[in-house]
Amino acid sequence: MLKYLARRGITYLVMIFLTTSAGYFLAVSTLKPALLEQERIPRPTPEQVATSMRLKGLDPELSPWERYVEWLTAIVTRWDWGRSPNGAFINAEFGDRVWISTRLFLASIILTLIIGVALGVYSAARQYKFQDRVITSYSYLAYIVPAPIAYFLVQLGAININETVGQRIFFVTGISTPGMEPGWEQFVDMLAHYAVPTIAITLVGWGSYQIAQRQYLLDNVNADFVRTARAKGLTRNQAITRHALRVSFIPVAQSIAFTIPAIFAGGFFAEKIFAWPGVGSWSIDAISLQDVNAATATLAYGSVIFALGAILADFATTLVDPRVRVQ
Amino acid sequence: MSSETTAGPAESTGPVERLHIAGLHAATDAVLSVRDLNVRFNTENGVVHAVRGVDFDLLPGKTLGIVGESGSGKSVTSLAIMGLLPATAEISGSVRLKGRELLGLSDKAMCEYRGNELAMVFQDPLSSLTPVYTVGTQITEALTIHNPTMSRQAKEARAVELLAMVGIPSPKDRLRAFPHEFSGGMRQRVMIAIAIANNPRVLIADEPTTALDVTIQAQVLEVLHRAQEETGAAVVMITHDLGVVAGMADEIMVMYAGKPVETGEVDEIYYNPRMPYTMGLLGAVPRVDVAEKTSLVPIEGMPPNLLHQPTGCSFAPRCPLVSDACLAGEPALAPVAGGVQHRAACIKAESLGGADVDVQDVFAAPPVPVSRFDSIPRTERSTVLQLKDVRKHFPLTRGALFKRRIGTVKAVDGLSFDIREGECFSIVGESGSGKTTTLLEIMEFHKDQDGEVVIGGISNKQAVDAKTKSAMRRELQMVFQDPTGALDPRFTVYEVLAEPLQNVGMDRPAIRKRIMELMKLVGLQPDHVNRFPNQFSGGQRQRIGIARALAVNPKLVVLDEPVSALDVSVQAGVINLLDKLRAELGLSYLLVAHDLSVVRHISNRVAVMYLGKIVEIGEVDRVFDNPRHPYTRALLSAIPVPDPQLERTRERIILQGDLPSPLDAPKGCNFATRCPVFAALPPAKQEKCLTLEPPLEPVAPSAATQALEAAPVPSPDQRFACFFPDGELDEDMLVVHEPADHHAP
Repeated sequence: MLKYLARRGITYLVMIFLTTSAGYFLAVSTLKPALLEQERIPRPTPEQVATSMRLKGLDPELSPWERYVEWLTAIVTRWDWGRSPNGAFINAEFGDRVWISTRLFLASIILTLIIGVALGVYSAARQYKFQDRVITSYSYLAYIVPAPIAYFLVQLGAININETVGQRIFFVTGISTPGMEPGWEQFVDMLAHYAVPTIAITLVGWGSYQIAQRQYLLDNVNADFVRTARAKGLTRNQAITRHALRVSFIPVAQSIAFTIPAIFAGGFFAEKIFAWPGVGSWSIDAISLQDVNAATATLAYGSVIFALGAILADFATTLVDPRVRVQ
Repeated sequence: MSSETTAGPAESTGPVERLHIAGLHAATDAVLSVRDLNVRFNTENGVVHAVRGVDFDLLPGKTLGIVGESGSGKSVTSLAIMGLLPATAEISGSVRLKGRELLGLSDKAMCEYRGNELAMVFQDPLSSLTPVYTVGTQITEALTIHNPTMSRQAKEARAVELLAMVGIPSPKDRLRAFPHEFSGGMRQRVMIAIAIANNPRVLIADEPTTALDVTIQAQVLEVLHRAQEETGAAVVMITHDLGVVAGMADEIMVMYAGKPVETGEVDEIYYNPRMPYTMGLLGAVPRVDVAEKTSLVPIEGMPPNLLHQPTGCSFAPRCPLVSDACLAGEPALAPVAGGVQHRAACIKAESLGGADVDVQDVFAAPPVPVSRFDSIPRTERSTVLQLKDVRKHFPLTRGALFKRRIGTVKAVDGLSFDIREGECFSIVGESGSGKTTTLLEIMEFHKDQDGEVVIGGISNKQAVDAKTKSAMRRELQMVFQDPTGALDPRFTVYEVLAEPLQNVGMDRPAIRKRIMELMKLVGLQPDHVNRFPNQFSGGQRQRIGIARALAVNPKLVVLDEPVSALDVSVQAGVINLLDKLRAELGLSYLLVAHDLSVVRHISNRVAVMYLGKIVEIGEVDRVFDNPRHPYTRALLSAIPVPDPQLERTRERIILQGDLPSPLDAPKGCNFATRCPVFAALPPAKQEKCLTLEPPLEPVAPSAATQALEAAPVPSPDQRFACFFPDGELDEDMLVVHEPADHHAP
């Protein structure tokens, strides 16, 4: 198993290197931070711009290949991902951004999974009954409504609660109130900040898992092996929970592992609407600010997370499905 | 009890009263007794009355065979007894297990009986085991449910014992194996082990061998037999194959349109059937042990739609003996005079007895068609297909980025044969023996193939351009196994048949004319050409498939299991059609089939394949009547024959294990690992089998024939590849059931 994972890991490393390099070339040949500098008032001379860029390692006069070699050498030798046109260091910024994104999404991913799969099982067991219709209709609604609108509606709801109570219970934007003393109050403040985004992302997210889990379970409810289990003397519900559930979870486990990275790396709307400056919004900003190094760094992060997700998916599948276990 | 089920009193007496009467008549010692079982399903089209009044009593240790075609209600009956029908099914009547009523029990209450006193084996072993649990877990689960106090060690010991009982080698290690690590036959053994885990009183087997190869079928039937002996359970054996139950059953119930139409002791049913449907079924199956060629009995039409209550005899629309009296009320099961517990639901049952009733006449079986080629000696006819040393080896590789070869699968390994004009040549063998690959290699027709394929004088070595290939396609066409899958559901029959004709550049009026001809040729109504395939029955769809193959007037038609997806009564009609077309159009067939009875019926020559090689080839009657290769002998002995007395006394060769993986093919004779002759040979001779590959050699004419003739007798058309065809058979692989032991109470 370990050998197999190591082999997969190496394959993914090669793929990450290739995508990141290709991304760097694309960025370096299209993003021109020097142009933005010229819009400053007072307008700097081209020499001033060139010097300032050169100092940050963004020399526009070097060829893309020369810059690529310089950039790659810095990463390999010093783990230095370069600087932004405004002078900020990518390494420092990156850590903050990843930590913010992780905090924003971690709780809601776990909740989404648990609620989605549980509701999927619950509704499959009551196919076409009232509960099933309500839950499944909601999931399709969550599919249809664009995420920004759903987030916004949750924000409005939270504001409504605040107004009804007449006191600010929930914060609808931001990560924390600055200048809090560590202790109970800071903890309450954290909860008040976390609640709205977590609830909003969870509410929108579980629909897809619910629909998938319900579908896969229904595919297996009338499977021959469930009938065999019933013929052994299990009731219908016992046969479903003991035999059909695990089989139906195989494709869901795989899809879970693949959606996690997508959320971590690309929660742009959530980050913007709730004003949590994470990786997602950083990658979009980097492009509009002509920031070659930041754009490439977020791309590299996305590939790494995706590779992790893929390995996780393999791992999850081998865990639940003995048929694919490697000899 | 039959008098109560007549049409008249059924309306006047209520079901409660009827049950009461039936209960009084029930044999007191019956372990399972079913009375007036009715099952209705509410569907979007209306109420389908799937089972209409089934009665039977099952005595301990006895076997009841329920026979019928698909849709006859036999599986629904078994699921109703088990309480496994969906909650939407309406079930009425009575099912008593040792006197306790089972119908109406809740799912939970039924669980007490299911898997304990009442167990079931299902049809498809590949999907009937949960893929994510080990076989051991699934067997011990059955034990845990009904014996919660049993210790883990005891359960494991019992599981090992069960696996050993059903003949799984090294049972202790196999407990930890997952279902996908077993072959189909092995999985069905596991299913049987689960079913008999708690020593059931009644074991229901629903088509337990339908999905398996004949050799494996023989093994599994043997295991079922042993399981019944060990547990003393009564068995309900459900099947469409009259051969399978002939040797096993004590009593037979023939079902049609949801109703039993004939019941009785097994010999009575097979030797003295009184219901035209039973007679037709028996006449519709070709026999592997009969050389004399007669046409099969076709039963025209389709089973009735159970949405509508039949007003007369449900078989009347298909019955050749139908009269007005048959349409007035459904006949009840009535005792047949002279028979022991023999009952038939036919108003003419009395007149159908006796030796003077010939099923061939009753069903107007067509005369045996004679081809103009039959009188010409084979050597003087031209060759339509020739294979010379055709090979197909698949490399087996390992590694993701850098593939390295770790072995070769020899799917087809040096095949040579030829087919002459007007002849039907068949290839038989278990799945995995290379039959389909052979067909694919012929259809592939590429110059880079290993070996030469000559079709109608065109060799694959010349097949460089598309024109040669399309010339070849005009010589050779194919009919596929699954008629539903082989027809585009969005094409009308006209479009299906027009496509090949357009490809050869025919103009529209000619196409139209040709299509009308084709429809008549295959026995379909020409005005049905604008219908879609789903408006036809399975047998009719296969006729469309045949018409499509014949459209361009090929010389050779390749038939890949053409009747295996069809019910027996329909199958007979298609086989007769194929026979007729061969004679009328002078066609040649290359037939691949697993059903050796069909092969014997239709073929002139046959090749037996094992692991990519032909082990025996020759004229069909020679090979079947005097098989020389041990594998051919085993195959033939594994086929059940619809003749109870013969079945009971027959000596059977039961091969051990499954077809080995082509990777492990031995160096010498491929068959050595399973060969019953090899197992009995002295080691010195075994050495020869293991190291040398036996060549395909002609059978030498026996000394007796040689002595009678003055001139040297030409060697007969039969060749085989075995060093010791006359060797003793290993005793472990020979099974004979003594009739006495079978009928012991």
